[in-house]
Amino acid sequence: MTALRAFLTAIARALLLLLAVSAMVFVATELLPGDAAGARASNGATVEQVAALRAETGQDRPAWQRYTAWLGSLATGRLGTSLVNDRPVADAISQRLPASTALVVLALAFAGPLILVIGCWAGAGSRTRGTRTAVVTGLAAVPQVVLAAVLSALFAGALGWLPPVSLLPPGGSPLESPHLLILPVLSVALPTVVFGAGLLAGAVADTVRRPHAVDSRLRGTPTVLFFARDVVPFLLTPLARVVAISAGGLIAAATVVETLFGYPGLGSLLVTSVSARDTPVVQAVAMAAAAVVLGGLLLADVIAVLADPRRAPRPKRRAPRYLGVQP
Amino acid sequence: MNTPRRHVAAAASALLLLGAGCANTADSSADVPALRYAAVGAPAATATDPHGRVGNESDYTRFAMLYDVLTYPDENGGIQPRLAVSWDSEDLTTWAVTLRDDAVFSDGTPVTAEDVLFSLRRIQGKGAENNGRLSMFDLDASATTGEHTLDLVTKGPYAEFASAVASLTFVVPEGSDDFTGDPVPGSGPFTDTGEGDDTTAVLTRNDAWWGSTPGVERLEILAMPDAQTRAEAVASGQADAAGSISPATASRYEEQDGFTVLRRPGAVNYPLVMDTRTEPFDDPDVRRAVKLALDRDQLVQTVFLGFGEPGTDVLSPNEPTSPDAAPVRRDLAEAERLLEESGRADGIELTLTTTNSYPGMEEAATLAAEQLGEAGIDVTVEVHPPDTYWTEVWNVEPFYLNSLGGSGFVDFARMALLSEGPINETGWTDADFDADFQEALATADDARRGELLGALQSTVADEGGYVVWGLGDGLDLIAEGVRGMPTGPGFNRIFIENATVGG
Repeated sequence: MTALRAFLTAIARALLLLLAVSAMVFVATELLPGDAAGARASNGATVEQVAALRAETGQDRPAWQRYTAWLGSLATGRLGTSLVNDRPVADAISQRLPASTALVVLALAFAGPLILVIGCWAGAGSRTRGTRTAVVTGLAAVPQVVLAAVLSALFAGALGWLPPVSLLPPGGSPLESPHLLILPVLSVALPTVVFGAGLLAGAVADTVRRPHAVDSRLRGTPTVLFFARDVVPFLLTPLARVVAISAGGLIAAATVVETLFGYPGLGSLLVTSVSARDTPVVQAVAMAAAAVVLGGLLLADVIAVLADPRRAPRPKRRAPRYLGVQP
Repeated sequence: MNTPRRHVAAAASALLLLGAGCANTADSSADVPALRYAAVGAPAATATDPHGRVGNESDYTRFAMLYDVLTYPDENGGIQPRLAVSWDSEDLTTWAVTLRDDAVFSDGTPVTAEDVLFSLRRIQGKGAENNGRLSMFDLDASATTGEHTLDLVTKGPYAEFASAVASLTFVVPEGSDDFTGDPVPGSGPFTDTGEGDDTTAVLTRNDAWWGSTPGVERLEILAMPDAQTRAEAVASGQADAAGSISPATASRYEEQDGFTVLRRPGAVNYPLVMDTRTEPFDDPDVRRAVKLALDRDQLVQTVFLGFGEPGTDVLSPNEPTSPDAAPVRRDLAEAERLLEESGRADGIELTLTTTNSYPGMEEAATLAAEQLGEAGIDVTVEVHPPDTYWTEVWNVEPFYLNSLGGSGFVDFARMALLSEGPINETGWTDADFDADFQEALATADDARRGELLGALQSTVADEGGYVVWGLGDGLDLIAEGVRGMPTGPGFNRIFIENATVGG
């Protein structure tokens, strides 16, 4: 019963957070200079023409009215239409969702185990820990665009093993041509690995200092067994949280990779809509990414309850500690 | 215990969705002569309404293949009939237009004068979104005169009628207003299969088209925002032709077997814009000094890597009526003398605003600033973000880089050089110019009109606020076996129905 109640509370909390995110994204889009009517109007349009366009698309109403109207239609399952090209937002999203989902799922499937391994490597060394985390942090600083360009130059250019662009057949599934996915997936997965490993290293360091782990080491447990039995079970929750946060980032922020490889995902949709101030589309993509993060964190909480090696009831707490990393 | 299961179920259904995507793509592309054209365009900004806001080149190309237009520009910049077979006017104001009688929409209904008038009115109604495309027409006074004939009335004498209805007068069935759902029938060389998405439009040959049989049975138009990615799509065999690649990429592929770089002269133009109402550009000597201080050859070499020609400040030098202007040679001594004469011997300080909307704009501004510095004109370059450049800098700041694409001199002058022009960015107000322009448009004789328009172009080149330092070629990359891609000026580039692959 405690688990069920904790779960319901977590769901309610996630929904509230989602609402807060939607309001923040809306306000941020509002604060940008210009609006969708200005972006839609051609360069020579007069002030009156732009105003007419604004009225036609309902953008002349006050911000709070537009926000509540958007919330209302969302509650009935409608994402609205684009302010720039009048198309249903659901169309644009559903076209890109499979490509983004494939990219994110494959990247995380690749990154998850590596995060665990590298996180353990970086966090467990007692004397070399500083150096190891510095290496991970340094790698995390390599911009994604550089990594993608290097991977492409190496595997598509010099070696010629993989195509330099990843155009999906129209209307087809991304899984139809798996070789097209390798470069985009690697380009987003590798930064995720170093980012995640850097975060996990702290949790690893905490775990190896726990009494049971210290005991186990003193008894001379072989390294592999030591990690598998005494460390990794404690890392599942923080790992799930790291993966959840990465997933949200990958959905909305794979723009560089999408552009470089011509791979049509949600990231470029978000960037284009932000620059056109196309609020309904911005909101929809941001909501999708936030829902993935919050859903993943929820899952992490469930894992925390179910997979806690001590099977202890979950301690009560008010604020979620998303990374589970103790100072 | 219900939760993990639900997540598993969600994950499983996501995978099923992906799998279903796999299953339902019947491979209709197999062994059909197909052209895959990677055009400039952001898939997320795809437009479906041919009459509204169109930001993507890929969309213009798709519309030109789906819908017929009244006239279109040929390889040499002349205007040729398309849906309209003839046009004639006594007073250059009421134009009797005859349409071809064998054009049929893809749903089987014939294209009539009513459809044409409806489409033109719809285009004019969306003037705010399409740059006032048909604002020279009085369409309320226009009327159909038969099944395939109509009278189109211009607001004043307009001898350049044929170019006013060229390229972008996409004709749709009367009453069409929703372009977001199923494809709206067109009467062009191709029809929409509806199989495509925002990235790739999949068209199939319209065998009922009145024109000569299109070169390929299947046409895929891919919207790709990155120039490098477009070129690589062709290099890796994932596309057959790529529109607008960068000069650096072009020089790499030019010497390579299996690829051809097509050059479309005069397609890229980033003039320096000086507002003649603003100090110090209100002084003609200062404008002249700026024009003389630039090393145009170096600019063309650096920005276009030689894929272009130094400019003579003539805005549209490749039109049949354009004047043959002498090259503008760099003359620092004369530039300094002019500055001295205008009382600015100590030099001037200016801010030149640019952006990176289009490749090379930033480099052009930086190099121009360096060159102007050698004449005592101290220029600071300010790079403005692209998404607000066209609202906050363009037509606002006194000194910036513009990007002019494609529109002919008459169209451009109407918008930007007449005293009352809606985008008169250089503040060019000259009653004589206005009068001569109206006279040219009221001149039926082509040769005489050409002379008048040529003289107007010369005046702006000599005295106006535009520094046309060079024109870059439009550069397209095509794979071996692709033939018939358009290389003419302006919107000639979007009429790709004669392109063929293989054989």
